[in-house]
Amino acid sequence: MSTQTSPVDTTNPITASTRTLRRRLANEDLWTRATAPVALVLLTVTFTIVNPKFLTWPSLTSMLADSTIPIVLALGATFAVTLAGIDLSLASTVALGSVTMGLAYQAGLPLWLCCLVAMATGLSVGALNGVIIGWVRIPDFIVTLGSMSLVMGLSLIFSQGKPVQIPERALTFVSITSVGGIRFNFLIALAIGVLLHIVLFHTRFGTHLLAVGDNPDAARAMGLKVARVKLAGYVICGLMGGVGAVLLTSYIGSSQPATNTDYLLKAIAAVVLGGVSLFGGRATIIGPILGAILLTFLQSGLTLVGVSAFYSPLVIGIVVIAAAMLMRGRK
Amino acid sequence: MNDIKVELRDIRKTFGSVEALKGASLTARRGEVTAIVGDNGAGKSTLVKCLTGLITPDSGTITIDGKDVRFSSPKHARAAGIETVYQDLALSDQLSIWQNLYMDRELTAGIGPLRFLRRGEMKREAHRLVADLAVNVPSVTRPVKRLSGGQRQAVAIARGVMWARGLIILDEPTAALGLRETAQVEGLIRRVVDAGETVLVVSHNFEQVKRLSSQVWVMRAGNVVQGVRTEDVSGEELVGLVTGAITAV
Repeated sequence: MSTQTSPVDTTNPITASTRTLRRRLANEDLWTRATAPVALVLLTVTFTIVNPKFLTWPSLTSMLADSTIPIVLALGATFAVTLAGIDLSLASTVALGSVTMGLAYQAGLPLWLCCLVAMATGLSVGALNGVIIGWVRIPDFIVTLGSMSLVMGLSLIFSQGKPVQIPERALTFVSITSVGGIRFNFLIALAIGVLLHIVLFHTRFGTHLLAVGDNPDAARAMGLKVARVKLAGYVICGLMGGVGAVLLTSYIGSSQPATNTDYLLKAIAAVVLGGVSLFGGRATIIGPILGAILLTFLQSGLTLVGVSAFYSPLVIGIVVIAAAMLMRGRK
Repeated sequence: MNDIKVELRDIRKTFGSVEALKGASLTARRGEVTAIVGDNGAGKSTLVKCLTGLITPDSGTITIDGKDVRFSSPKHARAAGIETVYQDLALSDQLSIWQNLYMDRELTAGIGPLRFLRRGEMKREAHRLVADLAVNVPSVTRPVKRLSGGQRQAVAIARGVMWARGLIILDEPTAALGLRETAQVEGLIRRVVDAGETVLVVSHNFEQVKRLSSQVWVMRAGNVVQGVRTEDVSGEELVGLVTGAITAV
């Protein structure tokens, strides 16, 4: 390797090591990657000091189970954000997926097929977003703002605003059953995380997704099919909305026609906290997962120490803006 | 005509009401550096883009190794062994050097949809390539944005060298570089040509054209107005040809 080393580095190992250390500390990747885990530890320590109940196994596992849907949605949002885009329709996709799942159940379809219907719904919304963003070339923000309302409307029309009860033990099973205290739904979210990590970092598609998000013009010049890559990214995002719909329906035991915009906020917030660049091209999978856990811990912790639930969006908002500013300051 | 690698004949291209190319023709000989010079807007970049598949000409023929070709995407041009180093480099800043070197040509293992990247192998090969070309960069796992302008250009050229089978096109290879970095990149270009590649270079820098090229084509207002052997022309004469102050040497 023809690495250029200055004479100082070789003659004085102490200078060299402090230099390496300084370079590491100046490395913005390190800071963006460290944000979520460091904040998670600080938060856990703080809440435990205020109320030791926070750090008990039942409390931890219940909070991890609560973080399942935020994790899955954050993973979906990661794929949109990596493309330097955003999917504002994610939360309403969850509602629509839940509604179509309920309708499929009412129509007498077997449960596994109902779950597939929910996922196919999410996938279709993602495909709609992706096609308009990739080929019609309208900015992602506008497209998904429109599809957010469109999808929200569809779920209200299809359901007439009424939830459908799905009293199936197999469905609630994943939200209730646990392995050593850790609920199945959380394990499912982790498995999806592993799968998406492989997709992002060990397939050609993942590399192309990062390249398109980094610089679409350079990607096009290298022969990448930019529109197709974007479509695939938004399809994954929508599909995660569908998976979120199944998990939500399983958790509640009935379909949920109303859009919970809190899910969107949390998903994007988790992605930002996880160190995924909002300008595209740089992503991790573990980051958004930790970000989603962090936000859930924050919310539960505030409740546990007796802060009114009304304060929770305020605190989350502050945390997200602070995290974004921290990253910007490192540029 | 065996030593002609590339021939462009009577290439025309119109964008809306703008005639960017009005029947431009030139040839490039195998194993040497051919330069295209011209003022801004003379049509150099458009002509080069016709050869790289980014633009499809309205009319005219492109011949490579004596065979007519027609490129409608950069992929086609690459399949024909033509590699291009763009003026804006076409590097993905936040991706590592090895990822950029293998962009869209990643090595994979597996079958069907279960194909996974051979990351280790690509890193090793990328490392060997930059070492062979004496490209002065830190580890190939570094993101490209951490490199200097000269290092970035070297990575872009290394990618061209890595995949080219016969022809490398360089669009303003040293436009944004300092003197020392320019010298390094020129050294790299010479090594590439010595290894038998044909190089087509678009440049504003007449001194560089004199130093590097064997043949130079002058473009003015969408046409190739003159082609000379570099040794037969002086720097001042080139300037005159480009501006139109002199019409022929």
